[in-house]
Amino acid sequence: MSIFEYNGSAIIAMAGKDCVAIGSDLRFGVQLQTMTTDYKKVYQIHDKLFIGLGGLATDTQTLHQRLVMRHNLYKLREERDIKPSTFAALVSAIMYEKRFGPYFASPVIAGLEPDGSPYICGMDSIGATETAKDFIVTGTNSESLFGMCESMWRPELEQEELFEVISQCLLSGIDRDALAGWGAVVYVITKDKVVARTLKGRMD
Amino acid sequence: MLLDTSVLEVRYNSSRAEAEPLGNILAADGAAAQFALPAVKDIDAFEREVVEMVKPSHGTTTLGFIFQGGVIIAVDSRATMGSYISSQTVKKVIEINKYLLGTMAGGAADCQFWQRNLGTQCRLFELNNGKRITVRAASKLLSNTMFSYRGMGLSMGTMVAGWDPTGPGLYYVDSDGQRTKGQVFSVGSGSLYAYGVLDAGYSWDMSVDDAIELGRRSIYHATFRDCASGGTVSVYHVTEDGWKKVRGDDVTECHFEYYPDPSNHPSTGTPVI
Amino acid sequence: MDFFMGIKGKDFVLVCADTSAVHSIISIKQDEDKIIPVDTHKVFCIAGEAGDRVQFSEYIIANIKLYSLRNETGLSTKSVAHYTRGELATALRKSPYHCNLLVAGFDEGMGPSLYWLDYLATLHKVNTGGTGYGSYFALSLFDKMWHPDLSEDEAVAMMEAGIAEIKKRLVVAPPHYIIKVVDKNGVREVKKV
Repeated sequence: MSIFEYNGSAIIAMAGKDCVAIGSDLRFGVQLQTMTTDYKKVYQIHDKLFIGLGGLATDTQTLHQRLVMRHNLYKLREERDIKPSTFAALVSAIMYEKRFGPYFASPVIAGLEPDGSPYICGMDSIGATETAKDFIVTGTNSESLFGMCESMWRPELEQEELFEVISQCLLSGIDRDALAGWGAVVYVITKDKVVARTLKGRMD
Repeated sequence: MLLDTSVLEVRYNSSRAEAEPLGNILAADGAAAQFALPAVKDIDAFEREVVEMVKPSHGTTTLGFIFQGGVIIAVDSRATMGSYISSQTVKKVIEINKYLLGTMAGGAADCQFWQRNLGTQCRLFELNNGKRITVRAASKLLSNTMFSYRGMGLSMGTMVAGWDPTGPGLYYVDSDGQRTKGQVFSVGSGSLYAYGVLDAGYSWDMSVDDAIELGRRSIYHATFRDCASGGTVSVYHVTEDGWKKVRGDDVTECHFEYYPDPSNHPSTGTPVI
Repeated sequence: MDFFMGIKGKDFVLVCADTSAVHSIISIKQDEDKIIPVDTHKVFCIAGEAGDRVQFSEYIIANIKLYSLRNETGLSTKSVAHYTRGELATALRKSPYHCNLLVAGFDEGMGPSLYWLDYLATLHKVNTGGTGYGSYFALSLFDKMWHPDLSEDEAVAMMEAGIAEIKKRLVVAPPHYIIKVVDKNGVREVKKV
């Protein structure tokens, strides 16, 4: 079993029309044992920026703490929130810092740029960024998540449709993953609000 | 998503009328099947290598227990390939005949083939001797077969349960050749979780309804904690009239039935948002 | 094989650990207390390799003590848990401490809390948790018995049921256990099993 599969995770970010969504499953496990089912892998950075961290939980926790600190420093110096694309560059740099002993984490970034356009981006464990205009997935069963997204996503989804699409993709994707699931959480980010919803999923 | 469980329904419930011909792999006595062996010097070492490549095994939770009202068998229905869930509707109880059941844990192909083989052996015993085989004898036939293939990479952990003139019977048989009689067994990756609930709730004097519920609940709790178990929980009840499938429920429905309020479960108790 | 479990109740946390100290296949001591007080209202329930366990817990506890002396204020259970995680995470990429622990505490105004922390430095707040082979047998049972308004008597009964199950099913079950409770009155030993 790969170290990325030690705790289990499933994360999707998806772009819509002037909105963007990101969601994760809720399982926290240690190999085959499910410890708890209230473990969100998506963290809020500011009103229009979220990051999902899949992979080894200890590294995602360390990474999240460092990112919060760096964002706070950025805010103090610049007196504004960080742009998602700038934040992605920051995350990438922090990941590459550990080039020869990486964080076993795969970040997914979702946010709205200052002009209101959606921004989503994924990354490997040493900071190679990959931007997309449709969706980004990561997790222990990314093949299934990709399959769902490829068939469900279409351009210009309105926020309610986007919520529906990302939720169905996430729930169906994790139904084929033994290491992720036990419910899910989805955030839809629009220019004036963030809507967070918990999804009821299979509990096995 | 609700599971399509039609595949788990009982297809027939009578002793098998005929032993279907299995070609040249089944000898006249039904016991010794012949397989072509690989042309290697050290077959044990070779099989140890091969078993990693043909590993069709699945995580499982199965349990069985005897109580005053007969025998209860309960199983989950998930098959995994690594962390991928290859099926949520696997039938893990093999209906050997009207009075005998076998459970599946370990290699799916090994369990299916050898328990079907056991079915033919039991039928042949009936035809030869004019009486039904006992659970004790049936489980011994299976364990003899397992012993003869010991060290060749078979993977099977099974319970043989049933009813014969001596009363209820429950035996554990595995591919190492171990065979033992018992009152309470659980087999598979989730068996530790199942034992936790099962042992705490078990008593000889329990009613049939309580016993069925105990089997169902033990499997449900195992599927919650063990990620290699899941899908549905099937419960069989064996009496002197033979076996009967009494429950078949989606474990997620069980979860929301046992915990309609998520705050009552320790791992969903903390609000998520 | 070290074993411990924790249960969070309505206004207390109950923790249980085995009391065996082993070396190779030899049991060298049967009354080792692995539930170590951090301050009056917090305990570490710590399992792992003998040297690591003692070195790490003493290092953390000494630093927490130093903090409270310097700043004339104690740390909350949450702060202790996060500080411990940070130290464990830093050590992980240098010379890892091989120990798993539970942090149990009671804070004025915030009530009881229980944190699960493994040797990789994964921290999570839980209602029931544990490590070791024993936890496999007890966790499912706790899932069935736990509820948010759990009383101390109910929690002790739960823990005893868990221990009974481990003694029945686990081949390498430790012979003796100690149960402690942390509540508004501090840390107290409930019983030895």
